[in-house]
Formats: sequence, C-alpha cells, structure tokens
Amino acid sequence: MLFRRIYQFMIVYAVFLAILLMVKKGLSLSDYVIPGLPLILETAVQMSAGFFTDVMDTLSVAILGQGISIFLAFFVGILGRKSSWAGSMIRVTAYNIQAYPIVALAPIIFILLGDGFLSRLLIAAMICYFPLLLSVLGVMAAPVEDIEHFYIATGRMRWQLEVKIRAFENLSKLTTVIAGSATLAMAGTIVAEFIAANAGIGYSIRIALYQSNLAAILTALFMIGIVISVYQGILETLGEMVKAKWGSENKGKLL
Amino acid sequence: MRLECSGLNFAYPESETMVIQDLWFAMDGPGFHAVFGPSGVGKTSFAKLLANYRDRPQLPIQTSGIGTILYSYNLERLPGWSSTGRHLDRICPADRQDLKKELIDIFQLGPVLGARFSQLSMGQQNRMNLIRYLLQDFDLLILDESLANVDEKLRQTILLAVKELFSHKMFLYISHNLMEVARFCKDILVLTEPSREKPSKIVSGQDDTRISVLEKPSLDRIMLEVMSAF
Repeated sequence: MLFRRIYQFMIVYAVFLAILLMVKKGLSLSDYVIPGLPLILETAVQMSAGFFTDVMDTLSVAILGQGISIFLAFFVGILGRKSSWAGSMIRVTAYNIQAYPIVALAPIIFILLGDGFLSRLLIAAMICYFPLLLSVLGVMAAPVEDIEHFYIATGRMRWQLEVKIRAFENLSKLTTVIAGSATLAMAGTIVAEFIAANAGIGYSIRIALYQSNLAAILTALFMIGIVISVYQGILETLGEMVKAKWGSENKGKLL
Repeated sequence: MRLECSGLNFAYPESETMVIQDLWFAMDGPGFHAVFGPSGVGKTSFAKLLANYRDRPQLPIQTSGIGTILYSYNLERLPGWSSTGRHLDRICPADRQDLKKELIDIFQLGPVLGARFSQLSMGQQNRMNLIRYLLQDFDLLILDESLANVDEKLRQTILLAVKELFSHKMFLYISHNLMEVARFCKDILVLTEPSREKPSKIVSGQDDTRISVLEKPSLDRIMLEVMSAF
C-alpha cells in the first residue's frame, strides 16, 4: 500500500515533468520560464534538505488539524445522527456550510489571529472538517437494521452501542474518508502558509514564486508529493490493519 | 394466553394496495402457532404490526396474558467485532447460563462459538440468531423464517426441543414449509391475498411433540386443508 502510493506519485510526477519539458522544447522557452532538467536537478540538490524540513513542519500542522477535525466530525456526527429537530438542524447546517469555500475565510482568520501557527492549524482543520463531517453524519444517521433490531427489541440499545455498530459496519468507508482527508488537511495548511504564514512549505513556495524560481517550486512539489504519499500510505495501511482485525470479513467474498 | 385480531386492515403509506384486509382470527394458549401463505401475502407485514401493535393503539389487535412480544427474522446479523460465543455470553442473563449451554447443544453450534458471525454458514447464522432470542424474556416470539437454510432433520430436532423447553410460551412460526407447519403447529393462520376476496382462516395443525407418532393420513388432510384455504 505504502510503496504503491510512492511509485504512483513518482510516475505522475515524471509524466508532469516530461510534459513541462516538452512544452519548453516545443515553444523554445528560456530557462527563466521553464528551467531545464540540469537546473531542476541542481536546485533540488541545493534545496531538498530545507524543503524537507518545511514539508515536515507543514505536515505536523496538517496532522494536528486533521486530528482535531476527525474528533470534531465524530462529536458532531454522533450528536447529529438522531432524527430529532436538533439532529436535523445539525445536518442541514453542515450541508449548507460545506457548500461554502472555506478557503475564502482564510483572510479573516489571518486578520483576527495573525500569521502564526494557530491560523494555519485552524484553516487546515476547517478545510478537512466538513467533508469528514458529511461522511460521519451519513454513516451515523443510517441505521443498520439487521443488527440493531435485536438490541432495540430487547431494550439493550444504548447510544454507545448504536455508534459502535454503525461505525463498525462502515469501517471501510470511514478509514477511506480519514485517509483521503489527509490531502485536504495538507492542502489547507499549504494554502494558509501561501496566503500569510511565516513558516512551512507554502511559505517557501510563495518566496519561490516571488523569485519566479520554477525549479524551486518543482522541488517543493516533489517533496510535498513524496511526504503526503508516505503519510497517506501509512494511514491506509493502518486502516487495512484495523479492518483486518475488526472488519466484518466475509468468507463468501473470497469465492 | 390469547391473541386476537378483529378486522385488521393495513396498507403502506402512500399505497392504495391493501396488504392485509379484514383479518379476523384468534389463537389461544401457549405453543407453536403458524402464519402460512404464499409469498407477498403480508406475513412479514402482519408479524411486524403484531410486534409493535402497542405503539399503534388504533389496530384491532388484542392480547391477554402476553406481555413481551419479540420478532426475529432470518436476515438478522450479530455484530462482527467479537466471536459469536462472546456475543451470546453478553446477552445471556446470568440465570440462564444452563439454558444457553443446552440450546447451543441442541442447535449444534458448539464448534463455531469462537467464529465471527460472518464466518458462519447461513443456517448457522440463523440458528445463532434464534438462540439469542430464546434467551430473552418473552411471552410471544415471532419466528419469521428464523430457521431458513437449516437442514430438515436439524430443524425438526430444534422445533421439537423448543416446544418442549418453552412449553409455557407462545410462538408464531412463519415458514413456507407446509409439511413442517402442518405437523408441528397448533393453529395455522392461512393468509390469502386481499385481491382474491377469500377470507383468511385458521386450520388446526397436528401439533406433534417429541413423543407423538406421525399420523400420515391426518397430516395429509391438514396439508390439503391449508392448500385449499388460499
């Protein structure tokens, strides 16, 4: 899972680079617009270490933001699973808010909180929170009647058991959404850094952009891609391990 | 114990087709009673209505001596996070441990107690599901195809054992197996399609127990009566 993610990214990146170099060649563009392969490699050697530290800085904020949004999504999703008016209100509000581009709120957050760690964290959490919330709400609000019937009929149903049954029955969906939200958290953090932060890979890309240094930007993109691939690969592997241990595997599926 | 229905009508919301029309019957006493009829005649709808009739006071269903009604059906599943044996341990009241062991023995589920529910065959799943209902407090247990996919010999063993062990309880057995219903049940409610305008009726079954001797002519007569009722 982990290695597949990495080599998939390497293939995509290589194709992207090849297209870029073909455009350079086809349109006879100068190294100033699109740098040649030697310059890209030279820049990569020079800046990789620094960019790696920046990406790890960004990733740490993204992981923290993702953790917060997972916690909040489950908290609100569990509260909003009921068909009561409160549950309906939470669901409708979530559906409406998620339709709004959260990134557009970033300037307000920077004005109110400044361009430090907290702003990056908040934007990262906000960007991956709503897609997560919608999935968790969808899972938690859908009864698993074949299993729940017995517990309801015999008066054994408690909210903890209800949540456990629904989460367990949708383990595959939830682990996929959580792994997928890592990209969103990373994108949110980079956007925040790009807009106004003073650290992280987004901030480095902004500097490279002002210097029109495409080779540095390509190096940064490579670093981001590798790190996010490893992170997502780890999340997916963890998800597979959870599913293997707890999942409702069906021997019939083997046939 | 008495279960009575006086003119029950039922159609699903936003549907003009009646699922149950003018249903009249009464069943008395504990034991195995049955609901029989072709597919789509409303057996499951009736069972679900009966299981929750107290939530719908307008329904013309009356009971006496029946407190708790449970409804079990053949597509139910146990959660998959632990073994079926552990699930049974958790839902079994402390004073019914011996009954649990006895049922596991009769239902021949001892060897699969360590397996998860999804690892069992369909027949084993249905037997496992039925055991957990039998361990609960109930006065009337509706078994909606609860022994589907179980082989005939074992099904017969289970039915006779349940009749003996729970002789003071009332069961409503829904099955498509005419021979089984005719042989082991006391009263057989034969449901007919509302469109056929033939009233549903009760046919007396043979109500065999472990010590009964199979009376083939009588069984044939009951089966014929059931078949001609719809």
